[in-house]
Amino acid sequence: MKTKTREKTMYSIWFVIPSLVIFAIFFLWPIISSLYYSLTVWNFDTATFCGLDNFKMFFSENSLSSSVLHTLIYAFSTSALKVVLAFFIAIFLCSKIKTKDFIRSSVFFPNLVSAMAVGLTFSYLMHPTRGFFNVILNSLGLASIDFLGDPRFALASVILTDVWKGLSISVVIYIAGIQSIDKTYYEAAQIDGASGWQQLVNVTLPLVAPAQNSIIILSLIGGLRSFDLIWAMTGGGPGFATDVMASVIYKEYAYGFYGLSTAGNVIMLILISIIAFRLQHFLNKREEAIQ
Amino acid sequence: MKNKVLAAILTASMVTGLLAGCGVSTSSAPAEGAAEASTAESGAEGAADAAADSTAAADTGDKPYSGVTLTLWGAGAEIADNDGTQKLLAKATEELGMTFEVETNPTGTEGDNIIKTRCASGDLPDLVDYNSGSLFTALNPKEHFLDITDEPMTANFDEAFKSCVSQEGRVYGAPFTTTQAGAVVYWKPDYEELGLSVPKTWDEFLANCDALEKAGKTAVYMSGGDTWTTQVLFLGDNYNVNAANPNFAQEFTEGKAKFATTPAALAGWKKYEDLVGRYNADSSAAKYEDGCEAMAKGDATHWFILTQAIATMIQNHPECKDKIGVFGVPGDDAANAGLTVWEPNGWYINKDSANVEAAKAFLEFWTSPENLDIYIDTFGANGPSCIKGYTLPESVCPAIREDMQSFFDNNKTCPALEYQTSIKGATCEQITTSAATGQISGEDAAKMYDDECKKSAVQQGFNWQ
Repeated sequence: MKTKTREKTMYSIWFVIPSLVIFAIFFLWPIISSLYYSLTVWNFDTATFCGLDNFKMFFSENSLSSSVLHTLIYAFSTSALKVVLAFFIAIFLCSKIKTKDFIRSSVFFPNLVSAMAVGLTFSYLMHPTRGFFNVILNSLGLASIDFLGDPRFALASVILTDVWKGLSISVVIYIAGIQSIDKTYYEAAQIDGASGWQQLVNVTLPLVAPAQNSIIILSLIGGLRSFDLIWAMTGGGPGFATDVMASVIYKEYAYGFYGLSTAGNVIMLILISIIAFRLQHFLNKREEAIQ
Repeated sequence: MKNKVLAAILTASMVTGLLAGCGVSTSSAPAEGAAEASTAESGAEGAADAAADSTAAADTGDKPYSGVTLTLWGAGAEIADNDGTQKLLAKATEELGMTFEVETNPTGTEGDNIIKTRCASGDLPDLVDYNSGSLFTALNPKEHFLDITDEPMTANFDEAFKSCVSQEGRVYGAPFTTTQAGAVVYWKPDYEELGLSVPKTWDEFLANCDALEKAGKTAVYMSGGDTWTTQVLFLGDNYNVNAANPNFAQEFTEGKAKFATTPAALAGWKKYEDLVGRYNADSSAAKYEDGCEAMAKGDATHWFILTQAIATMIQNHPECKDKIGVFGVPGDDAANAGLTVWEPNGWYINKDSANVEAAKAFLEFWTSPENLDIYIDTFGANGPSCIKGYTLPESVCPAIREDMQSFFDNNKTCPALEYQTSIKGATCEQITTSAATGQISGEDAAKMYDDECKKSAVQQGFNWQ
């Protein structure tokens, strides 16, 4: 009997082992070894242990620590804008309009283009003298804005481009959430004499919360590790004005500061984990409270 | 029992299958591998040929390396899009028989990243065209490149160049082109129009800028879209730093001298402050190519740039040849105005290449005076040559043959700091951009740069505590 149970357990374990092996080789081992390498000054041949110096340097040096701040600004503002704007677009697209299908696909279109192409296109549109946006501003009698070259505007310009590109995913998730709401809630609300706005606030908003939570989590994590769009548009510049953690890590690696860049990656891993877990916890609580 | 064995076998096959799948998708494209294999084969043939008549030079009419394909890696402006190089490659195919396969270096940080990765993974092409000086040393050349110290051609390279492509006294590179300078390229017609004279000091330079602005001209061009170009003012100031403090480079390497605390070195960073607001309207987005275009048409008067830009300007706008001039970054001493010189890129041979003999023959071909003339007549020169005893042909523009040559003749030149020390702040171009756009003061920039250099020093194993 005992051997029978053992055989049964072994039988299922055999199925898990392949994916477990791959998970360990490609995910667990890199994480563990990067924890070690982040404490060293290393190149491909040797590694010298240096304690927490890399981490200290990451937070004490202005050009590096500012990237942490930029990452947080970037992630939270893109996430907030997407959550709010996408909600209203989704509401609009769920209403009874004739060209619904066409508008839905055109809203989704920006997401089909690669971030590099979007970045390059927008950096041309935002060119300080020849860019389309400035041509419009000038024809309205306004002064040109150096969208990407002026450190005051550069980060905001990239954030808005990210929102333009990333909005559609949030809209699609919202639409799915809104359509799954039972029609009887609205009927009941209408019988009670609720106005359209009241229905929106008291029926749609609470019942779309699960979809909203996914959007918050996805867009926030996406924002925290964002790299491609920033790299295509500003390369982290002018100076360090739009450097986020991912771009700093890439650059430090390119300069040959492997230890420092590994430390940056560890910091990013920890930062994302903390924010994501806390947020998930909070959002789950909120969802349970509504239900 | 039967099931158990079967399960074990299936598991094993699944794991190996998956791993093999991953292996293929992460390594380089299979087509590339096949191409390499075929060149390796033909390379062996070529080497056999070469061994058969190793002394036979190109003029025998034989094509000793036909069938050999050399892979080259270098910047687009230097190989793929460079008429001079293309002409010489075609001539080499005609005379020596080898053909070429060119891969383009995206330059800048990305290029550095690629070459380091390829060094580490043993995936270097036969010939690499890459910077000399500190960037080259950072590759740890003795591990990857062929020692050409004892080749006959190497005796013709001048000492300054050799010192920049050497590690532990052994030479690894042949000069790609001529020397160049990090200097001010200026539009002579504006100077004539306003009766200005070439400035000998920084104050004179600023006075010229004021006069130009009063006349409604763009005094200084900045191509901030290519961030590396913003470094030229700082790096090109090294002549003045060196003139005021000849031991600076050595003391800096030892961690004793700092930019923020050495007045002559700090002066270079403060120059950025003086120029904030004097730039062209699209200074933050303009690319290097835009700069070449604008300067060749006289849209701006001064541009702090490497003199390699002159060749591009003349190539696109031949009429600007006599209208462009060059002077060094001005310092404080009018009697000692000089020029900061860059040694050219080097050609480096992959020491594990199957085509070493063909690559050597190609470099021999490349550095012969006859072929230098062809290259320079086609593409132009960026400055005097570093092949001993070679004089620039008549086709070279006055800015180089006269303006620059006079600094060399009067011995008023100094190599850029990156040739005097292996320590260079990695984010130099970001810091100079910050200073040029007025985000930080010159002093803050100097301090930031000192911190950057410390990181570089630590990574290289210097004790800078």
